[in-house]
Amino acid sequence: VIRIVTLDPIDAGDMAFLTATLYRTFGLGTEFAGEKSAPREAETKDGRLDAVRLLKEADPVRTFADDKVLYLTASPLALKPGPLGEPPCWGFADYGKERAVVSTSRFPARGVTETSIENWRRRLAREASHAIGHLWDLHHCYDAKCAMHPSWSQSLPANPEMDLCSFCREKSERKIRLAKT
Amino acid sequence: VRGPPPRHPDDQREELPAVEGIIADAAEMKAGDRVVYPNQGVCAVIGVEEKDIAGQKLQLVRMQREEDGATVMVPMNKVPSVGLRRVASGEQMEGVFHYLAAQFDDPELDWKVRHRDNADRLIAGGVLGVAEVVKGLHSLSRLRPLPTKEREQYDNARHLLVHEVAVSLGVPPGLAEDYVDFALMPPAGVKFDLKPPPKPVLLPSRPKKRRPVAEEGEGDDLGLGDLGIDLGEIDAALAGATGVAGVPGVEGVEALPVEGIEGDSEGEADAEKPEDEGAEAADGEAEGDAEEDLPPPPPPRKEKPAHAEKAEKAPRKAPAEKPAREAKKKPEKPEKPVRKPAAATAKKPAPAKKAAPAAKKAAAKPAAKRGGKKK
Repeated sequence: VIRIVTLDPIDAGDMAFLTATLYRTFGLGTEFAGEKSAPREAETKDGRLDAVRLLKEADPVRTFADDKVLYLTASPLALKPGPLGEPPCWGFADYGKERAVVSTSRFPARGVTETSIENWRRRLAREASHAIGHLWDLHHCYDAKCAMHPSWSQSLPANPEMDLCSFCREKSERKIRLAKT
Repeated sequence: VRGPPPRHPDDQREELPAVEGIIADAAEMKAGDRVVYPNQGVCAVIGVEEKDIAGQKLQLVRMQREEDGATVMVPMNKVPSVGLRRVASGEQMEGVFHYLAAQFDDPELDWKVRHRDNADRLIAGGVLGVAEVVKGLHSLSRLRPLPTKEREQYDNARHLLVHEVAVSLGVPPGLAEDYVDFALMPPAGVKFDLKPPPKPVLLPSRPKKRRPVAEEGEGDDLGLGDLGIDLGEIDAALAGATGVAGVPGVEGVEALPVEGIEGDSEGEADAEKPEDEGAEAADGEAEGDAEEDLPPPPPPRKEKPAHAEKAEKAPRKAPAEKPAREAKKKPEKPEKPVRKPAAATAKKPAPAKKAAPAAKKAAAKPAAKRGGKKK
């Protein structure tokens, strides 16, 4: 089961769209597991949340084997700089493990029109699929139409697809089939 | 470092400069060390065990793959040859990132070469070799989607690289992957201050085009010795026969007029018969002098030297010889069945050779033949 925990309030319609999309993408039950507050330990000096720390310190959610927990936040996330600098962070996942976090801070404005709301929801669903994909051992994909394509890539269209490519879909299905439960 | 094992036992192994961090002696490994097993990933050394396998007592280094806890056991004496190496240092890793971020517009387009080189790089190339595979296939994927096998190879290489980066930099694999892709696919407006990338990994050279070499060998030795035929006797017979009118000589002489006739499409059918008869006659006459040395039914002796000489003459007289042989085939079949094998070998290249003159002159007959074959 994929359990979604919000660290900031989120619209019920957005949540319904997200759960439906994740269910379709991975074939796993998806549910809203409640709202929690962001851990203070994860806050950085510049007001962002350290993504790695957040996943370590976030309040636990009751889970069973193979359950995945997705945290949603509106605060910007920070990552430890690498050899070439700090990569932009849309979300972060413990590769092959249980927890992932997605931030909506970099999304285009949600707006009030149906189109802009639809685009915002699709973007949220894409980033959530991307993070859950990492939890199922998926790596980044070179295909710009795949949800596993890096979120900062220049080849990513303005309104990217929220589905997995055939390779990533097959791999995730294989991993899910071989899961403990 | 030793390259991957030779593909053919007769090829000598190539000694290449050692990849940095390679473990040349099992004694260097201690319990708790983290090493990289080529194509498997980062493993933690558990210790050395002695096991009785097939009646032999073997000293085995026991390792545990960090990713999934799988156990890997390597005999102590095999440690230098399997390519175990230490996890890349910070300096090496910096070079890898500068390599990943560098411009790369020249992916190998020959899939055979690419696949073989990539497999070699993953085994013997160290962390830079793995990065080269990722970078090469990634840049190729920008030109066209990767085929399934290479897509898997790309995914495996990426998996190995991400885990080694994670262990080397002490970060979670998810973050390591972000670092790798930040270098590979930088966001718009980001420019890196790059150092010159490290030198590419040297790969062991492979023997190329073994087939022609084998054919040359075959040309020299037709395996007659295995069939119990005395080669010396044939050489002696040839020495006497070819000078006068040996079979190959006759074929060569025939070839020229037949080619001329074949061009004349109307007269071809008529011309074939006399030519064949003539060839038979010429055979008889030509062999007249040599018959004393050659036994009356000498099919293998006649044909095989002819074949050998054909191999020598092939580059020069290939188009000319073929029609002559074709002309011979029809009448010979019933009379001299022993010639069949030789004719069969000669037939193989014939369609390709015949296609050229036929296409040029647009002869009606060859076209009809082709149509018939298709049906």
